[in-house]
Amino acid sequence: MSISVGLNCPACGGAIQISEGENVLNCNYCGSLLWAEGDAGVMTVAFRNAQGRDSVLRATEEWWRKGFKARDLRTKGKLLECYPIYLPFWSTTTRVAGWICGYEERHHTDRNGNTRTERIPKEEMVLHDYRYTNIACDPGDLGVKFLRNVSGEASFADFESIPTFESTTSKDDMVEMSKQNALSDARSDANVPHITFEKVTAIPKQISQIFYPVWVVRYSYGERMYMATVDGVTGKVLSGRAPGDALYQSLAMTGGTSVSGLIAAGSIAFGIGSGEGTIAIIGLVVGAAVLGFTYRFFRHGSEIIEGDFDDKRSSDLGKELRKGLKFNVGGFRI
Amino acid sequence: MKVIQIKCPRCQQPIYSKVKDRAFYCNHCRTMHIRNGGQEVIDFDIGEFNVNAPADRLYMPFWRLFSAFSINQSKVAGGTIHKLGRMIKGEANGGNLFIYVPAWETEVNEFKHWSVGLTENQPMYSLRSDFNNVERWPTTMSKEEAMQLADFVIVTMEAERPGVLQYLDYGLQVHDARLVYLPFVRGPSGLAPGF
Repeated sequence: MSISVGLNCPACGGAIQISEGENVLNCNYCGSLLWAEGDAGVMTVAFRNAQGRDSVLRATEEWWRKGFKARDLRTKGKLLECYPIYLPFWSTTTRVAGWICGYEERHHTDRNGNTRTERIPKEEMVLHDYRYTNIACDPGDLGVKFLRNVSGEASFADFESIPTFESTTSKDDMVEMSKQNALSDARSDANVPHITFEKVTAIPKQISQIFYPVWVVRYSYGERMYMATVDGVTGKVLSGRAPGDALYQSLAMTGGTSVSGLIAAGSIAFGIGSGEGTIAIIGLVVGAAVLGFTYRFFRHGSEIIEGDFDDKRSSDLGKELRKGLKFNVGGFRI
Repeated sequence: MKVIQIKCPRCQQPIYSKVKDRAFYCNHCRTMHIRNGGQEVIDFDIGEFNVNAPADRLYMPFWRLFSAFSINQSKVAGGTIHKLGRMIKGEANGGNLFIYVPAWETEVNEFKHWSVGLTENQPMYSLRSDFNNVERWPTTMSKEEAMQLADFVIVTMEAERPGVLQYLDYGLQVHDARLVYLPFVRGPSGLAPGF
């Protein structure tokens, strides 16, 4: 995962490539050692917009067909506008090094019903680099908060022609948030249930600002307005709101209530017949869970929401990026 | 974003290198400097090779951290804790120590091997004033990062002992960091000390 930026050597004018996060580079032509300096110590890169209006609209129409969206969306959906913007993101790499020690407990029950608790000591080394991205401005209702793609060609060529959102959050806040997230993820990865000793250090390795092209597509269905965003590099839909389908809601309600009722009634009947009260209770819980899921789909199925919305109820595409991307290759070799 | 040519802060000569090295060494005036916000000229040591060392020689960079530490309390399940205690000389529960942190890009096991090995068995070597055209391995770790890894080295020394570390209450203060180039030779089984 890297972003390469094309620049020229200040000594000989030869073309040079620098990867995101690197300060030191060599000129392959004159052999000079070079130093890259970002504004206020932060390297800033912009991804080249690789999509056009036609490909973005095609991706949106393809997205309309997926999931439980209204079946007639493709025929009744009316595209209103489609335009690209640059969104600013912070990208950080944080190294976590340390040890987490403690124990886990295992419970053993013998034939007489006596329970014995075994305490197993654990010592876990933590040595990883974690990478996080986070949007550096208020995303409003776009539903984009994290970068899903961090590879591609960087270029400021489109910077003048595409509207750009300014960064409104601070670098220091992002560094601090990354440290806290990295420590939390490292503890989770160490998996020591009861911690008796912990010495873990979070070391900020690099921070850069990435301007990423995102296409905004607005469309209408019936009398309501909806929107979607499309990745300007990969061409994939990042987020969006779309109308649901009343038929799917009705089928889910009918099927869900029937299935949950059958599970609950069957388990109660079986439990009473066999004298196993536990089976009846488990059946009731499972039936209630199916009913809850059914109600949730029925209640919110009138609108399908995908992406990083605060009130998001359906998909969770960005979850894997909220948890840091861990570099497992030894920690020191990236 | 701008790109500048790195020059020696003392003699202003451009610095040339085929590798990405964060410790910039001027072949003209033998000055070494690092950059982290500003420029900082640093002192460094170059170890002398043992006269019997084989020909395939190179210098590996280490951050040598002059540190003071004390052990207050420790507990190990199924083993004993004595590595740190063994290194304290003349005082009951504290002392000074050089911690060696590999400054090059390495993988975890190699990092642990050299940091723990050289911290436990402090290298003895003579000093020389130049590299004598011997290959110098690039430094990739900053001084600040090395200082923050001191705790990791110390706890690793104890955790690698037989038994499972359960508790360690200690104090560690890093007073100074110095870049040290130690003589090594390439052998069939990897790097070996050449001092």
